Amino acid sequence: MTSVAVENAYAKLGEFKLQDISLRVESGEFFVILGPSGAGKTVLLDMIAGFIYPKQGRVLLDENDITRLPTEKRRIGYMFQNYALFPNMSVYKNIAFGLRYTKAPDRARTIENMMELVGITKLKDRTPTTLSGGEQQRVALARSLILEPQVLLLDEPLSALDARSRDLLREELRDVITQFQITALFVTHDQTEARLLADRLGVMYEGQLVQTGSVHQIFDKPKDKRVAEFVGMENLFEGVVISQERGLIVVNIGTATIEAVGGNDTGEKVIVGIRPENVTVLIEEGLSSARNTFRGRVTQILYLGPINKVIVDCGFALAAYVTNVSTETLGLDKGTEVSVAFKATGVNVISTLRQANSEALSR
Amino acid sequence: MNILGLSRKTEKTFIVFYFVSIIALVLVIVPVLNVLLSHTPTELAFTAQQPDVYNAIILSVYCAFLSSMIALALGVPLAYVLARKTFSGKSVVEAFVDLPLVIPHTVAGIAVLLVWGRTGIFGAPIGNIFGITFYGTVAGIVVAMLFVSSPFMINSVREGFESVNPDLELAGRTLGASQFEVFRRISLPLASRSIMVGILLTWARSLSEFGAVYIIAYFPQTAPILISDYYLEFGLKQASAVAALLLLVTLTVFIILRLLTLRKKREE
Repeated sequence: MTSVAVENAYAKLGEFKLQDISLRVESGEFFVILGPSGAGKTVLLDMIAGFIYPKQGRVLLDENDITRLPTEKRRIGYMFQNYALFPNMSVYKNIAFGLRYTKAPDRARTIENMMELVGITKLKDRTPTTLSGGEQQRVALARSLILEPQVLLLDEPLSALDARSRDLLREELRDVITQFQITALFVTHDQTEARLLADRLGVMYEGQLVQTGSVHQIFDKPKDKRVAEFVGMENLFEGVVISQERGLIVVNIGTATIEAVGGNDTGEKVIVGIRPENVTVLIEEGLSSARNTFRGRVTQILYLGPINKVIVDCGFALAAYVTNVSTETLGLDKGTEVSVAFKATGVNVISTLRQANSEALSR
Repeated sequence: MNILGLSRKTEKTFIVFYFVSIIALVLVIVPVLNVLLSHTPTELAFTAQQPDVYNAIILSVYCAFLSSMIALALGVPLAYVLARKTFSGKSVVEAFVDLPLVIPHTVAGIAVLLVWGRTGIFGAPIGNIFGITFYGTVAGIVVAMLFVSSPFMINSVREGFESVNPDLELAGRTLGASQFEVFRRISLPLASRSIMVGILLTWARSLSEFGAVYIIAYFPQTAPILISDYYLEFGLKQASAVAALLLLVTLTVFIILRLLTLRKKREE
C-alpha cells in the first residue's frame, strides 16, 4: 500500500490554478476532495497522475519523488468522469489494454476473474458505445484495477449516472476499493457523496485546499465561512463574543444573542453557524431544553421532497429542516407563529481571526 | 411544404433560396453528365484501348497514388502535432499548410521546378547521390502533385485527430502505455476513417493536377495533359472521350469517398 503526498504545489491548467497545495493521503485511505466546479480539483488529480507537472512543489508516492515521472511509469489508476473507454476496442480488449505493459503471467485468466468480480462477464464482446453509464463505469474500474494500481484517482465518476445507479455503484465502488486496499482520491462537488464515501476529506476553493479533516470535522466544524457555506451550514451569522465562561460563550449577532460551546475570548469577532437539521421547530413556547430558543414567524416553506426547509424570522432569518409529516402535524404555513430551538453544542463557532490569517497567508 | 420545420415567413426566403440552389447544382451536374453521356460505351472502349490513352490514365493513377502515400507519411505526424499541441507560431504553420491552396497552379509548378530541377536546392543533391532527376520524369510529376495536394491530407487527418477525445490518450497513459503507444493503439485507429478520406482527397487532387505537372513534366503525359493535347491536336470530340474515361475513374473513387464519410456521420 502506498501513501500519496503533495507538497507546496503550484500548478496551472488553462484558467485553473493550484496554489500552495499540501496534502497527505495515508496508505489505504479513501480521501475525498470536495469543492465547487472550477475549484481546481481535477487539476490536482491531473498533477498526481502526471498529466501536468507542477510549476513548483513535489508529488510523492510513499517517499519517492514522482513529480516529473511520466504518467505511464507511476502505476496510478485514473477513473475519468466520462470513463474514457476506448471506442475502437471491445470491453475485453479495453480491460486487457494495460496488461501488455506488465509482466502479468496468465492474462486471459486474470481478465476473466476481473470481469467476474465487477460483474461484466456478459459484456465481454460489446463495444463501449453500446453500454449504459453504469456498465461503462464497471468496465473502466476493471480496466484500472487489473493493473493493481497503488493509487486510484477518481474524477467525479458517479456524476454521469442516474440517481438509482449512482446509489448502487457508489457502494460497489467503495467496497471494491476497500477490498483491493487501494489508496483512493475521489473528487466530487456533491456533499452527500463525500459524506458517504470519505475516510477523510479536503475542501477545495479557488485553487486552494481550505480544510482537511474527518467528515465530522468538515461538516460540523468548518473552519472557514466558505467551507461552512459549501457543506450546507446555511445559518451563518457574524457576531461578537460578549462573555465566556467554562467553555460556554455568548455571541451577540446584533438582533439576538446565541449561546455556543467554544473557547473564544470576549470581544472576538466570530461567525456562528447552525446546520438547519439541528434546528427544532415547535408551536408552543417553553417546551425545549435547548439553550437557544427564539420566537418567530414562518416566512417561507420550501418543499424539497421528503424534507421541507422552513425559514423562520425570529429577529434574524433561521432555516430549519422539518419532515413532511411534522410540517403537517405542526400545521406550519406562511405566517405561523413558532418557536425555534437549537443546542449550544449544535452551534459551530468560526473564528474570523484564523480566516483573516489564512487569507493573508494565501496572498 | 415546410420541410425544415421553419415558420411560414422564413419559408418564403427558402423558396427563393431553393430556386437559386437548383441553378447552382444544374451548373455542376449538367456538364458532368453531358461528358459522360455524349459517348457510346463502344466509343469509350475504343478510346480506352489506345496505348497513349491508357498509358496516361495508368500513369496518372499511379503518380497520384505515390503522391498520396508520401503525403500520408509526412502529413500524419504534422496533423497530429497540429491537433494536439499549442505553440507560438502555430497560426503561421497553419498558414503554410494551406498555402498551396491559394497559389496558382502554374506558379506552383515553377516554384517546384526551381527547387527540384537539376540545379535546384533539392534536385541537385538528390540527382548527385541517387541519380534521380525530376524534370520530365515520374518523380517530377509526383513532387508537383504532392505540393498541390498536401493540404487535403493534413487538414483532413488533423480533423480526425481532433475528434479523438484527449482523455482517451491520458487514460491509455495511466494504463502504462507510452506516448507513442497511445498514438498507435488509440488515436491512429480512431482517426483511420479521416485518414482514408485524406488519402482519397489527396489522390483525387493529385490526379486532377494540370498546371504544376505541365510545367515540370509535359512528358511522360498524365491524363489531364493528354486531354489538353488531344483538344489542341484533334479537337473537342476526341478530347472529350478521354475526359469521359478519366471522369469515370475519378467518380468511382469519389463515390467510395462519399460512402465512407456517410458511414462515419451515421456512426456518430
